[in-house]
Amino acid sequence: MISVGARAAAGRRRAARRPKPIDTGQFRTIISPLQLNSRWGRRVYWAVLVTVVVTFTLAFVFPLYWMITGAMKTGEEIAQMPPTLFPADPTLDAYAEAWNLFDLGTLLWNTAYYSLGGWVFCMLVDVSAAYALSRLRPMFGGVILGAMLATLMIPAMVVLIPLYVTVVDLGLLNNPWGLWFPAAANGFNIFLLKRFFDSIPRELIEAARIDGAGAFRVLWSVVLPVSRPILGVVSIFTIVTSFKDFVWPLLVMTDSDKMTLSVGLSQTAGMVTQNAVMGGLVVASIPTIIVFFVFQRHIMAGLTAGSIKG
Amino acid sequence: MKRSAGLLVASALGLAACGSGQQAPPAGGAGQVTITVACQPAKSAPKERQAWDDDVAAFMKANPGVTVKSTDQQPCFDPKTFGPKLAGGQMETVFVVPVTNYDDVIRQGQALDITAYTGEIKNWDDLRQDVRDLVTKDGKVYGVPNVHYGVGLVYNRKLFAEAGLDPNTPPTTWAEIREAAKKIAALGPGHVGYGEYSGGNTGGWHFTQAIYGRGGSILTDDGKKAAFNSPEGRAVLQTLHDMRWVDDSMGTKLLVGWESLMVAMGSGKVGMMLGAPDVVTDVVGKFKGSVADYGITGFPEAKASLSGGEAFMINPKATPEEAKAGMRWLDFRFNTVGKGRFDFARGKAIGNPVGVPDNAVYGDSPTGQAIQADRVKNASLPVENYDPYVKASAAIPPKAEPVHAQEIYAILDVAMSGVLSDEDADIDKLLADAETKVNAVLAAKG
Amino acid sequence: MAVLRRNLTAYGFLCAALFCFAVFAWYPMIREFILSFQETNLIDPPTWVGLDNFEYAVGYPGFTEAWIATLQFTFLALVCGFAVPFVVALVLNELRHARAYLRFVVYLPVMLPPIVAVLLFRWFFDPGPGLFNQLLGLVNLPGLAWLDSPATALISLVIVSTWMNMGSATLIYLAALQNIPPELYEAAELDGAGILKRIRHVTIPQTRLILLLMLMLQIVATMQVFIEPYMLTGGGPAGSTVTVAYMMFQFAFTNQNYGVAGALGMMLMIVLLVFAAFQLRLTREDKA
Repeated sequence: MISVGARAAAGRRRAARRPKPIDTGQFRTIISPLQLNSRWGRRVYWAVLVTVVVTFTLAFVFPLYWMITGAMKTGEEIAQMPPTLFPADPTLDAYAEAWNLFDLGTLLWNTAYYSLGGWVFCMLVDVSAAYALSRLRPMFGGVILGAMLATLMIPAMVVLIPLYVTVVDLGLLNNPWGLWFPAAANGFNIFLLKRFFDSIPRELIEAARIDGAGAFRVLWSVVLPVSRPILGVVSIFTIVTSFKDFVWPLLVMTDSDKMTLSVGLSQTAGMVTQNAVMGGLVVASIPTIIVFFVFQRHIMAGLTAGSIKG
Repeated sequence: MKRSAGLLVASALGLAACGSGQQAPPAGGAGQVTITVACQPAKSAPKERQAWDDDVAAFMKANPGVTVKSTDQQPCFDPKTFGPKLAGGQMETVFVVPVTNYDDVIRQGQALDITAYTGEIKNWDDLRQDVRDLVTKDGKVYGVPNVHYGVGLVYNRKLFAEAGLDPNTPPTTWAEIREAAKKIAALGPGHVGYGEYSGGNTGGWHFTQAIYGRGGSILTDDGKKAAFNSPEGRAVLQTLHDMRWVDDSMGTKLLVGWESLMVAMGSGKVGMMLGAPDVVTDVVGKFKGSVADYGITGFPEAKASLSGGEAFMINPKATPEEAKAGMRWLDFRFNTVGKGRFDFARGKAIGNPVGVPDNAVYGDSPTGQAIQADRVKNASLPVENYDPYVKASAAIPPKAEPVHAQEIYAILDVAMSGVLSDEDADIDKLLADAETKVNAVLAAKG
Repeated sequence: MAVLRRNLTAYGFLCAALFCFAVFAWYPMIREFILSFQETNLIDPPTWVGLDNFEYAVGYPGFTEAWIATLQFTFLALVCGFAVPFVVALVLNELRHARAYLRFVVYLPVMLPPIVAVLLFRWFFDPGPGLFNQLLGLVNLPGLAWLDSPATALISLVIVSTWMNMGSATLIYLAALQNIPPELYEAAELDGAGILKRIRHVTIPQTRLILLLMLMLQIVATMQVFIEPYMLTGGGPAGSTVTVAYMMFQFAFTNQNYGVAGALGMMLMIVLLVFAAFQLRLTREDKA
């Protein structure tokens, strides 16, 4: 404690003597380092920085704070005008209530099962397809890839109804495969994977071939190990997307003990008190926020990689 | 019996021509049949669910060979999944349909003709004729009416008392409703004198209740043209507009979807709403309203009352054995005095709100009287709070919903939310627009 | 022989994907087309009805209004969802502190399930104890009706939509800004260009392709808006938030009119394909 305080004090002393220049790093942006470090530049910079940090916190973090504390208030307090900034008597009762009313245990389990099961199936299908298109080069490979990419052009809401009718015909309602099959038909995943596989040096694969490895062996011991970054990105996006999905599970998984979290919340939210709704929302947000904390770098890398060069 | 059943199956398969060589269904295990039945209470109502499960067990014991499986989709009728479930082979053998959708379901061949099986319901003849008519088309019966009620005025007796009104003399005219609403709204912020729906098809539904009460109609008698652009329709919207904007007695929040007003009512801050007695049951049972607070009275100045309710229907793909077993289940659970849902002693023991006259499906018949006597005997709610409704409703003729009710309600939502969300709403224009739209829908339907 | 074997192996690896695509992507695309010319309740065999579904949809009350609402929503969502992230990215790119925090925070809502964002905002929009009116009250402004007035309902939906979606656009722009060669700015500066001029003559031309691409993507995405009206307004008040996608959903799942829903979907698809074609051309240009 003492040393931290001392260091901070030392920092302040130095700052008072001579303003510390703003480190511009190696990037040069619209505003030149010189301009930025002029007396006015510095003032404006700090003013803007503080404004942006405060605004962002209010706009994006405060609503979540409101949600979490809302669930800690009693039914009367949450409806009170003006509202209280801190719960007067924080309680976890609303979370417990939400857990029971929404049957959150079942919903969480279902959602996790559908997401992870869908992920395994999706990876199996898409990785092997991308591998075949990239490395085995079958006849009509180009046509097939084109047709797969063409599905990305069709707006999701438009195929919703015919896809639904198809799933009904196949009797896949209330069946996880009703979620997994359509999820695996993902042209974007195949495109990303194929592009990465294309970039794997030829020599690596040739070497394995000479050692007598078959197509499967090459995929398993050469291609997959070097493709870990792209596999990570595709995996995270597949899992998160299916976790967040709403409209499709709303149509396909209608039995109350087979619903996903999003659908379950939407169906019951009108029937329960506001603080219990907030409790349910908090529980529903936790998994994706944890994923974001852990895989932040992958997610941001994937986001920019996919869309810019795509 | 078995022979005719075989014939029916054969004809259903389109094999009727080969009369002699018919293939009888496997005869093993005399009447081994499995049926699925809808509307098991949700897990969040464990006691009611237990009661249901007990009934299923008792029924299966009394009917060896019949296996009953329950589904608990909430709500048990969901228009969104109804058609697809039927097409996808997921529909229960016995399912429930609200009165709003009778017409569509029957017209589209989504329910079995059960004329031959009505004998399975022992009290069939005691079911009200006008209610049975609703599930009958061209002389064929397609459903077993399960619930029936007319609209009244549900009100919060506690708020009436707080506002200096007498809870025992509820309003009998719209002018009195306005006065009472003003006083209740004046109780303080958050208080709503009169609650009304404006979206999610419930706005149009309540518009229909209101216009029927005033003696108006939604469609012409032949069902070919809209008829609500009338003095009665205008009066409905004008009253709401004035209560919202002149009296400011309706709160500021638009209520979309069935739950919204029920939650508000349950919170104890809404004075009055149009509703059938089942509103009281639901407000108390599902929305934490306090039992003693709610009363219901007759529909003020009513000339007719919109029929509400539901019926059980049988899957059109059911075999005759399944259909019969399903009918027997309906008889056991839903249509026997003192049994199943009419086991009021059990209902009281597990804490259900008992005593609301929420089902007039048996009317004044001997069965109906026996049920009512049983209900009063086991009442857990103050039955005297509902007397005004019972007395008043007897004199009000029921009136059925218009055809294509859901589509028409969606259009009328616009008029309802129009007056409730915009102080300068042009009522004549709202009605004229809705009329044009409804006529267009009817014309396209042919 | 080797060719045959290679092809056989390749198709072995491809077969699962071919099955998934054939049944759950390609066939539904064709089915959509077929559906729009049929009348079906999913139970009886469908009948061909020619252009009846299209006529019915076009003549249906509220058809024009739904398109207008959709275009209005798209326009408003672009003003917020396209311009705001770009400005935000410009500012973020100039900052030298708290970058990781700001990037994290702006992307946070994107990670939430949409239903969470929507239900959370439903509570904020509550005209009584809702957060927004309470905040307005704090600075002595009168409360708004938000979702409960035809005048503000659509813009309320845009606010939710922007809040939960702007993170990805912001990060994509940010990445694009970081790819601009610093020499260009230095050269502009030597020419005496001020900050605004530098944005106009360096930043925007350098990010033009990304901007256009994102514009197209966002138009296509926002024109399909559904969850917001479905969960927040039910199309009201006074029909002001009935979008084309919402109407399509109602046709299919409330009225059991799958053919008409299909016809409406075809119209939406044609409009969106025009934008998609633009997008494709831009991508080609990018690669060339």
